[in-house]
Amino acid sequence: MSFIPGIGLVRGMGLTLRRFFQPKATIRWPEEKADVAPKFRGRLQLLYDEYGTLKCETCFQCAQACPIECIDMGGMDTKGRFHVHWGAAETYGERREESALRRSGRTVADPMYARYEAIDLAAVDEILELHDYDPKGMLAILEETQTAYGYLPVAALKHISRMTGAWYATIYGTATSYRHLRFEPPAVETAAPAGEAQRTIEAGYRSALDAALGYGGGRSG
Amino acid sequence: MTTPGKPHQHPSADDPRIMLDDQIGQFEAVPPYPPRTEREAEFYSLRDGEMFLNMGPQHPSTHGVLRVVLKINGEQVVDLDPVLGYLHRGVEKLCENSDYHHIISQVDPLEYVSSLFMEWAPVMAFEKLLDVEVPRRAEYIRVLTGELLRVSSHVLFQGWMALDLGGLAPILYSFIERDEIVEMLAAITGQRMLFNYFRIGGVNGDLNHEFMSRLGDWMSRAAKQHEANIGLLNENEIFVRRMRGIGRLDAATALRMGASGPNIRASGVPFDVRRAHPYSVYPELEFDIPTRGGNGGGDSLDRYLLRLDEVSQSIRIIDQCLHNMPDGPIMARLPRLLRPRPGRAWAAVEAPRGLYGTYAISDGTDQPFRMKIHDPSFVHLQLVGLLMKNNLIADTMAVMASLDPVMGGIDK
Amino acid sequence: MTTLNRAWGHLTLTGKVVIPLLFLALVVGPIVTIFLATVVGPWLADVLGANPEIVRFVVAITGVLLFSIPAAFIIIYMELKVIAFMNLRIGPDRVGPKGALHSVVAGLKVLTKEDFTPTGADRLVFTWAPVIVFLTAVMVFLVIPFGPGLVGQDLNIGLLYLFAVGGMTVVGLLLAGWSSFNKYSLLGGLRSAAQVISYEIPLTLSVVGLILLAGTMSVYKIAEAQQGWFTDWYVFRQPLGALIFFIAATAEANRTPFDLTEADSEIVAGFATEYSGMRFGFLFFAEYVNVFIISALMTTLFFGAWNAPIDINSILARVGLSPVSVSLDPGSLGIGLLILLLVAPVLLTLIFAAPFYLSRSSRPAWQALVLGFLVFNLVGVMLLGLLAYIGWPWMAGLTWFMLKSFLFVYVFVWMRGTFPRVRIDQLMGFAWKWLLPAALLNLFVTAAAIIIVKS
Repeated sequence: MSFIPGIGLVRGMGLTLRRFFQPKATIRWPEEKADVAPKFRGRLQLLYDEYGTLKCETCFQCAQACPIECIDMGGMDTKGRFHVHWGAAETYGERREESALRRSGRTVADPMYARYEAIDLAAVDEILELHDYDPKGMLAILEETQTAYGYLPVAALKHISRMTGAWYATIYGTATSYRHLRFEPPAVETAAPAGEAQRTIEAGYRSALDAALGYGGGRSG
Repeated sequence: MTTPGKPHQHPSADDPRIMLDDQIGQFEAVPPYPPRTEREAEFYSLRDGEMFLNMGPQHPSTHGVLRVVLKINGEQVVDLDPVLGYLHRGVEKLCENSDYHHIISQVDPLEYVSSLFMEWAPVMAFEKLLDVEVPRRAEYIRVLTGELLRVSSHVLFQGWMALDLGGLAPILYSFIERDEIVEMLAAITGQRMLFNYFRIGGVNGDLNHEFMSRLGDWMSRAAKQHEANIGLLNENEIFVRRMRGIGRLDAATALRMGASGPNIRASGVPFDVRRAHPYSVYPELEFDIPTRGGNGGGDSLDRYLLRLDEVSQSIRIIDQCLHNMPDGPIMARLPRLLRPRPGRAWAAVEAPRGLYGTYAISDGTDQPFRMKIHDPSFVHLQLVGLLMKNNLIADTMAVMASLDPVMGGIDK
Repeated sequence: MTTLNRAWGHLTLTGKVVIPLLFLALVVGPIVTIFLATVVGPWLADVLGANPEIVRFVVAITGVLLFSIPAAFIIIYMELKVIAFMNLRIGPDRVGPKGALHSVVAGLKVLTKEDFTPTGADRLVFTWAPVIVFLTAVMVFLVIPFGPGLVGQDLNIGLLYLFAVGGMTVVGLLLAGWSSFNKYSLLGGLRSAAQVISYEIPLTLSVVGLILLAGTMSVYKIAEAQQGWFTDWYVFRQPLGALIFFIAATAEANRTPFDLTEADSEIVAGFATEYSGMRFGFLFFAEYVNVFIISALMTTLFFGAWNAPIDINSILARVGLSPVSVSLDPGSLGIGLLILLLVAPVLLTLIFAAPFYLSRSSRPAWQALVLGFLVFNLVGVMLLGLLAYIGWPWMAGLTWFMLKSFLFVYVFVWMRGTFPRVRIDQLMGFAWKWLLPAALLNLFVTAAAIIIVKS
C-alpha cells in the first residue's frame, strides 16, 4: 500500500487516533503517587530503623566523603552549648555568616555601597526620618531623594534599603517604573531648588491646602 | 548616554545601571576582536546578501546549550560555526582533585542520557592501573545495564529527532519507553538518571527482585514494542523526505574526522569498539554489527534507521546476559584509599554515541594526575559544518539531531 | 459644607467607594432612566426602526466579535487536551473542571504580562501589526452563514470577499516580522509571506469549480444549495477540490504540517518572537480564530453548512406523516403557565431525587434533593433544546454547523499532533508543482462535465 502517496500520513493519523483512546501514562500527583523502588536514594529524608530511632548519627562521614562538597551539617553539640558546623567551607563562609548576622537583627557594617560615589547621606537620613522609615511610602521617599540630589544616587538607594528593610532590587525596580525618576544627574543643571528649600515650598503648599479645606492638625487617609 | 566633557568611566560590574555604548551593535554575532585564525577570517567575512543568524545558547532544540552561528543567504546556510563552552563544568579538573572513587560521580553528568558508559571507561582505565580483576558476575551486570541504557538512549534519540523536525508526539512516546527502562535501572542502582553505579572492581548493588521483575516485564514486550517503534516514523512521508539525502557523510570523511559509533556505521564502515578492541565479556556474546549506507555514505535517514537496528542487537545481548549470568561476587576487594602505581592507561567503550574513552595518568598519589576524556559527540559536532554545505536552515536541525550529540559530553 | 467635609473625613476607604455609588444608584439612576425612557428612547427607536439593515448589521458584527473570543478559548482548550491525549498524557487538569478554564486563565495571563517594544523596533508598525492580523481574521466572519438566516451580510461576492480579506493576514504577519528588529522574526515573516502567497492560488482555484457548479459566489446561497441529504453536499461532487482546499487552507492558517512560520524548533517563535503581553495575545488568538474560520469554510463550502445529513421531513413525507413541527406559544396556556412554572420544578426535583435517595441508605436527604435538582436541570435543558431544535430552524442549523465545524477543528488539531513540519522549499514545491496543476485539472474537468451534462 505504500505506493499510494500520502498513505503513510493517514496511517500516522490512525496511530495517534488509537493513542487518543488508550489509557494515559500520567500519574496525577498528589492524588496518585508513583511507586518507587526500595533502593531509590533520591528521597531527601533521614531514615529510621525498625525501632523508630533515627539512623543518622551525625558522624560527618558523608560530608567528608562527598565529592561535590554539597553536604553540610549543623547542630548543637552534645552538651547543648554551641552550634557545630561541618561541611564544605563555602557553605558556611562569609556569605552565610553575613546573612546569619543579618537575620540575627544586629546591624552589620555594609561597606558595599562605598564602592559607588560617596555622597553625603544626611539628606537621605532626614527624608527617611520624615517618612518614619516606612517602606510603604517608597515613591515619596524616592521623589524627595531626587529633589535633594537632582537624581537617585546608588549609594542613597542602598542606604534607603538598609534603613527601611526593603530589598534594594525592589527599590530599584520601583524607581525604574516612573519616568520622572532619574539615575543620572541631569545633563543641564535644572533650576530645581535644593532639598531644604523645595521641602519648605512643598510644606507651604500643603499647609495652604489644609487651611483652605479647613483641616486641623494631622492628615488623614 | 555620557555627559559631554566627562571621560567615559566604565561602571563596576555590579552597577545595575546598564550602560551600552552601542545599543544596536551589541546584537551582532561577529566578535569584537579581529579574527585570530584563517577560518575565523573566512567565516566572519560577509559577501553580498549574506547575514549571520545566531541560533543562540537559549534555543528550544540545540540539544543543550550550544550556540551555532549560521551564515545564511536567505534560507540557505552558506557556512556554520558551532560555539561551544556554555556547559563547561571543568569535569577533567574536578577529576584531578578527587579521589579515584569520587571520580565516578564527577563523570556521570558528561552524557547524562547514558551515564553508565561515562562511568565505565574511567573505571576500566583505573582497573588497568590497579591490576584489578573484575568478577565475572560484575562484568555481566555491567553489560546488562549498559545495553539497557543503550536501548533507552536510542529510543530517546528517535523521539528527539522527531521533535527537532516538528512532530510533537513521538518524543512523548519515547519518554514513556525510557521511563520504563530508567525505573528498572533505579531499582538496581538507586537513581533514575545519574546512576553512580559502577565501582572500581565491580558494581555497587546486585540484581534484586524488583529489578528482575521489571526486566522480565519489559523483555516480554520488548520485541513487539520495537516493531511498533520502527513503524512509527518510517512510513511518514514528511519525516522521510526531511531526512533522506540530507547530511550525506561518506566513509572517507568519517574516518578522516574521527567519527565513531552509529555515525560511522551508517556510512558503511563496520567499526565497533566491542569488536575492534574487545573489553569486558563482549567476546563471549553473540551479536552483529549493523551497517547502512554502503555506497556513497549515509544520510540522516540511514543514521536514524541504524540506531533502530542497534536496538534489536542490544535486546539480543540482554537476552544472552540473562541466560548466561554467572554467580559470584559483584565487587573485587579493594582498599578504601586507592594508590595505583604511577603509569598511564587508556580504556574505551562503545557508548551509544560512539567511542568514549578515558586516558588516565596516575602519579602514585590518591588523586589522578590527569584524566583526559575523549567524547564522541565532540567529534561529531565538528562534522555538522562539513555536512551542512548549502542546505537550508531547517536541515541544520535534521543533521544535528541525526548525529545525536549531547552537550554535556561536548563541553565536559 | 463643613459638616459634609467632616463626615467625608470620617469615612473609611470602603465607605468612600460605597456611599458615592449608592448615591449614584438611588438618586441619579432613576433620573437618568426616566430621561432616557421618555426623551431618548422613542427617538432612538424611530431611528433604528427606519434602518433595520444597519441594526442587523451591527448586531451581527457584535455577535460575531463576541463569539470569536470564546471560540478561540474552546479551540485552545481542545488543542491542548486533544494533543495531550494523543501523546498519552492528560493535559490541563487543574484549572476548572477537567481543566476547562485553562484557556481563560491563559488569556488573563497574557493580559497581565509586560507589554514592551524591543530596542530598534519600529514602534508604530510593531503595535499595529497584531491588530491587522486579528482584524482580518475576524472580518471573514461577516459572510460565514451560521444557520439559515444567520449571516452577517449576504454579499453576492461573498467568496471573493473572503479570500481577499483573508489574504490580508499575511500583510500583518510580514509587518510583525519586519518591525521586530530581529532576524528570527524577519525569517518567520518572510517564510510566512512566501507560504501564504504560494497557497493562495490553489485555494482560490479549488473553489472555482464549486462556483461553476453552484452558479453563485454568495456563500449563503452555496450553503442553501446543499439542502437535503448528505449526498447533496458538494464534497461528493468536488472531491479533489475539497482535498485541495483542505490542504491549502491548512497552509493559509499556518497549521502543522505547514507551520514553519512559528516553528519552535528552528526559529523560536517566528514572527512572534518579540511579542509579549496582549499583542502576543492578539497574534495567538488570531491563529485560533483562523483555525475556526477554515473549519467553518470547509463545512460551509463542501459539507453542507447547516444542513443535517438526513432529511427527516422527506422521510416522514414518504411514510405519509406530516413534517415535525412545534409551535412554541407559552401564552396560550394562560394560568396554566404560572402553575407549570411554579409546580413543575418542585415536582420534578422530587421525582428525580427519589432514586438517589432510595439507592443509598447513607445519603442525606438534602444531597438527594440537590442531585435531583441537577438532574432536573439537565433534563429540562435537553427538552428545551429538543424543542428549540424542532421549533426554530435556525437553531437546528446552528447546532449542525457548530458540530461540523468543531469536527473539522478536531481534524486540524489531530494533524498538529501527528505530523512534523515540512521544509520551506518542499512546501513551495508542493504548492506550485502539485496543488496548482491539480486545481487546474479539477477546474477543467468540472467545466467539461457541466458542458457535457448541460448539452
